[in-house]
Amino acid sequence: MSEAHDTPMLAMVRCAACGRVDTPRRVVCSACLSHQLESIAISGEGLIASFTTIRRAPTQFRDRAPYDVVVVDLDSGLRVTGRLDPQSVPAAVGAGVRLISVQGSDTVFAVSQT
Amino acid sequence: MRDVSIVGIGSTPFGRHAGTPIEQLGVQAAVEALMDAGIDRSRIGALYLGNFISGPLNGKEVLAGIVADQLGLPNIPCTKVEGACASGGIAFRHAWLAIASGQCDAALVVGVETMTHAPTAQTTAALNCAMDNENDGPSGLTFPGLFGLAWRIHADRYGTTREQVSAVVKKNKANGLLNPLAQMGATLTDEQIAASASICDPLQLYDCCPASDGAAALVLVASDRLSGTQGLPIDILAAVQTRGSPRIGGHPDLCSFDATVSAARRAYEMAGITPRDVDVVELHDCFSVAEIVDSEDLGLVPRGEGAIWAVEGRTAVGGQIPINPSGGLLAKGHPVGATGVGQLYEVVRQLRGTHPNQVRDAEIGMTHNLGGAGVACTVSLLRRPA
Repeated sequence: MSEAHDTPMLAMVRCAACGRVDTPRRVVCSACLSHQLESIAISGEGLIASFTTIRRAPTQFRDRAPYDVVVVDLDSGLRVTGRLDPQSVPAAVGAGVRLISVQGSDTVFAVSQT
Repeated sequence: MRDVSIVGIGSTPFGRHAGTPIEQLGVQAAVEALMDAGIDRSRIGALYLGNFISGPLNGKEVLAGIVADQLGLPNIPCTKVEGACASGGIAFRHAWLAIASGQCDAALVVGVETMTHAPTAQTTAALNCAMDNENDGPSGLTFPGLFGLAWRIHADRYGTTREQVSAVVKKNKANGLLNPLAQMGATLTDEQIAASASICDPLQLYDCCPASDGAAALVLVASDRLSGTQGLPIDILAAVQTRGSPRIGGHPDLCSFDATVSAARRAYEMAGITPRDVDVVELHDCFSVAEIVDSEDLGLVPRGEGAIWAVEGRTAVGGQIPINPSGGLLAKGHPVGATGVGQLYEVVRQLRGTHPNQVRDAEIGMTHNLGGAGVACTVSLLRRPA
């Protein structure tokens, strides 16, 4: 129980009409146009599709630079963008990652140690 | 649908015009295009103006009406279109559509942007409006970063190296030296490129196009209404616009843009030609690796071989498929809203046989303009009449 409680999850939406799972900022379901989008939480585990190290950052992220942005193919089939924890082992295409924190829109992943 | 021809072209140099009001650049290019066409202004039935960020960077909107007023055009529909970096290509397609559909017999296309007067942080913030700031923005991703992602996959999948990508940079910078309109032509070595500042790995400074000011303009006329114009009319074989996903997560392949693939397919079909028939291309090399991805997406180069073709000189002037003889965005510059119109300007000069970096006997030319994270794309095919 406590383990499930501590594991960060990603907020998504599921269409009550057709079942499509999508990113949380959808206004309507893009498959069937239903407004009945239910908030759900899904696992933040997946594989790195690609990554890049941002050295010239936009103003609001300048204090953080350099930082890695990762595109993650979640086990659920969705593809999301987040950043890599600076303490993580280095990213590689195809490496397994897990979500380690979500604060608002700031989604942070770390490469899974195996 | 009626056939449409390009009968007039004009362009300012791309580069730094700090202190010049944005409408002045647009008017300068437009006057050149009108004079080139020799057309009476009273015949212009519509104006489409491509621009991305004149609001945030210049505090000016309704730019199409402002330019038309300066030009003393009749009381015609004047429309500013926005599709981030594809704004110019979209403006062109709308003008083509207005004539092809019979709404008017002649139209003016203007693309214009000024960026260099603004502080870098302000320009970056304005450009980032073309990103999905709900899904992708919060990660701190930038547009160079988007192409860093693409490069990693190209390298992982096809073994593409820094040196191979540098071949694109060297080619376009060298082409730029031959183009008097280009902002940043240069003779570069592999060592200079590899030693340039890292922007977002693996992209370095020379892999990125500069911020630019500039304008380009075209006069389009129905092909059966050419009397009263001068010079060699260039036929528009295809003008296609498509959309792709605005967000990274919506792209099934981060090393290809759906919008480009589908636009190219439709354009070839519309023109009744194949990629082998294309003699010269101006495509959207906002970053070095973008040229590699684009050339593959357009079907001009086999998948995975974009960098190798550049190394082997097959995309140079005199090669199998010359890409960006103007210098492209990398060397000619990227005044965002002007870029798509500028590409058409360059291809028309190629097909007229008057380009400063001429592809010999060019008969069919292509342009490719891509906006945002691949959310908007235009592909056009032009032909010199036999």
